[in-house]
Amino acid sequence: MTLSLVLQALFAGVTNGIVYALVGMGLSAIFKGSRVINAMQGEFAVIGAMMTVLLMTKSGWPYAAAIAGGAVAGALVGAFIEVAFVRFMARKNASEDSFLLLTIGLALTLSASVLFFIGRDGHLLPPLGGEGVLIVLDAVIQFHALWLIAIGIGATLALRAFYHRTTVGLSMMAASIDADGAATTGINVGHMRTFTFVLGGLLGALGGILVTPLIGVDYQLGLNLTLKGFAAAVLGGLTNPLGAAVGGLTLGLVESLAIIGISSSYKDVVAFSVLIVIMILMPQGILGRAGRRGG
Amino acid sequence: MSLSSLISKLAGATALVGLSAIAVQAQTSGEPVKIGAIVSATGAGAGLGVPERNGLLLAEKDINAKGGIKGRPIKIIVEDDASNPDTALSKANDLIFGQKVQALLGPSLTASTVAVGGVTHANKIPQIAFTGIGPAVERERKCVAHVLPPQRLNATALLEYAKSIKAAKVGVLHDAGYGNVVMAELKPLADKYGVKLVAVEKFEIGATDTTTQAAKVKASQPDAVFIIATSATPFRNVKQIQITQPVIAAIGSSSYEYVNAMGPAADNIVIPEFVVGEDPLPHQKDFVELYKKTYNSTPKNYEAAAWDAAHIIAAALNKAGADATGEKLCEAMKAPYTGVLANYNFSADDMTGIPISSFIFSKLVGGKYTRTPFRVAQ
Repeated sequence: MTLSLVLQALFAGVTNGIVYALVGMGLSAIFKGSRVINAMQGEFAVIGAMMTVLLMTKSGWPYAAAIAGGAVAGALVGAFIEVAFVRFMARKNASEDSFLLLTIGLALTLSASVLFFIGRDGHLLPPLGGEGVLIVLDAVIQFHALWLIAIGIGATLALRAFYHRTTVGLSMMAASIDADGAATTGINVGHMRTFTFVLGGLLGALGGILVTPLIGVDYQLGLNLTLKGFAAAVLGGLTNPLGAAVGGLTLGLVESLAIIGISSSYKDVVAFSVLIVIMILMPQGILGRAGRRGG
Repeated sequence: MSLSSLISKLAGATALVGLSAIAVQAQTSGEPVKIGAIVSATGAGAGLGVPERNGLLLAEKDINAKGGIKGRPIKIIVEDDASNPDTALSKANDLIFGQKVQALLGPSLTASTVAVGGVTHANKIPQIAFTGIGPAVERERKCVAHVLPPQRLNATALLEYAKSIKAAKVGVLHDAGYGNVVMAELKPLADKYGVKLVAVEKFEIGATDTTTQAAKVKASQPDAVFIIATSATPFRNVKQIQITQPVIAAIGSSSYEYVNAMGPAADNIVIPEFVVGEDPLPHQKDFVELYKKTYNSTPKNYEAAAWDAAHIIAAALNKAGADATGEKLCEAMKAPYTGVLANYNFSADDMTGIPISSFIFSKLVGGKYTRTPFRVAQ
C-alpha cells in the first residue's frame, strides 16, 4: 500500500462523504422539523439535478441560472409535498410509519416519472472549475470535487448558523421540540413544517446538482443516495443535521479505506460492520446527546 | 355457453378481418403462425428489452414482406416480463398453453431465461434466448438456444485484444453481477493467453463511485485495463484518476445509453462486440438501413440479436413446415445460420455456435463508435 494510494482513498472518501452528508443533512433537517423519515430525500437530488440539466440543454439557461433553477425546483417540490400530503396526514395524527410509507411511495412515483418523462439516459453537468485536476503525490482530485467539498462544508456551517442565529431557524427548532409550547408563543407551527420541507428539498437538490458532474444523474440515482444519506444521518444522530455531516464523512472514509486496506470484495461488509459497532457503542449517534441539543 | 361461443366467434371473425387487411399488404394469407416473445421492456433490464422488442417487430415486418412462412403471415406476440423471472414464467405459460405459440424468443435476462427454459424444455417448445445462458443449462436443455455469446466467449474476446496489443499485465474493474459471471470465465483463461491479472477490483451494481478501486488498479501498473460492467461509472472514474493505459470494455457496456452517460470519458475505449451502426459490415448494411429508416435511431447488438432470432425461427418453420412439431422445428433450427449479429450453429455444445471470428472490435473516439480493423481469425 503506497502513500499515494492512501491519499487517493482519502480524496475519494471525503468527496463521497460530503455527498452522503448533504443528503443526510436534508434527511435529518426534515426529521428534526417534522418527525418524518423522508425516504425520498435522494429524489430531491434527482429533481434538482435533472431540472438543472433540462434548463441548460432545453431552455438554454446559463449554468449559474440553471443551478439556481434546479435548487428552487427542489425547494418547491419540498413545499408541495408538505402542503399536499404531510399537512393533511399530520392533522389526522398520522404515525411515523404512515409518513414513511408516504415518502417511499413518493420516491417510487418520482423515479418512475423521471423514467417516463425524461427517459433512461444518464446526464452529466459541466464540472465547476473545468476538467482540471489537482495532483498530490500521484493521487488525483478534480477541481470540481474540491468545489464540492468546499460548498458542502459551507452549507453545513450555514445550516448551523441558520438554526442558531436566525429567527426562522430558532422558531423551526422550537416548533419541532415542543409544538404546543411554540404555538403559544405565536409561532405558526404549520408554516415551520413547510419551511422544514423547503430546507430539506433545497439541501437535497444542492447535493444532486453538485454530484452530477462527478457521477451523472439518472432516474435510479435517488434510492442509492437515500440509502447512503440515511446511514450518514443515523450514524451522526438523526435529529442533528450537523451529525449527518460527521456521519457522512465517516461512512465515506470507512468505505474507501476498506477497499485499500482489505479488499474491494468486502468493502460493504467492512463498512457496515464498522457502522454496526459504532451504533452499538454510541446508540445516540456519533455526536450523541450533546449534539442533539444544538445541531 | 352460447354467449361465450358467440363472443369467441365474433372475436375470431374480427381478428380474421384485421389480419386479412395486413395480409393483403404483406402478400401473405391464411392463419398466422404464432411465435411468442418475452422481453424486459420495463424494469432493470429495459436497456436490453426495448431494443430487442424493436428488433423483433422489425423482423416480423421483414419476414411477412418476404412471404412469411410458406405464404402464411408470422405473428410475434411480444410480452414484457418487467425484468422479473416469475413474471417471465407466467407469461411463458400463457404464450405456450394459452396462445399456443410454435416457439419462444427471449427473455432478455439470464434468470428469466433459466426459469422459462424449464417450461419450454419440458414441453419441447423451441426457444431462442437473448442471453449468454451458461454451460450447466446448455448441457441439459438441448432446444434452448441463444443468440448472444456465452460469457466464456466474451472473456476470450477481451483476452484476444489484450494479446494483440501485447498487454501482459492486466488490471480488472468489474461489478458484482454481470462482471462476476464474466470474471469467473476470465480467470482460468488468462493463463492460457499469458496474461497476468495484476489487480482484480470489484464494485457493487449501481455504485456511484469506483475511484478507490480504480486507484488500486492504477497502482498495480497494468499494461491495459478491462472493465466489465453495466454502467458508465467505472469508465468515468478511470479517466478521472488519469489511467492512461488502453481500456478494453466487455460488451455489457456497449449501448448508447452507457456511452452517452460516460460523457468526455467515452474516449480511447475498445469494445469487443458485433454491430457498429455508424460503420456496419457489408452483410449488416441492409439491416442497419432498414432499422434507421423505421426507428430513426442507430441499432446496436441487442436489436440485431432479436432480429436474427426471429429470422432463424422463420427459416426453421419454412424448412420444417408451419405446423411442424416442436421436435421437428428444433431439428430444423440446428443448421448453420449467417445472421446480422454473428454466425450461429445451434447444434454446437454451447447452444449458440458463435465463433470468436464473429466479433468486431469497436473503439470509442470522442464519444463516437468507430470500427477498428482488428478481427480474430477462427
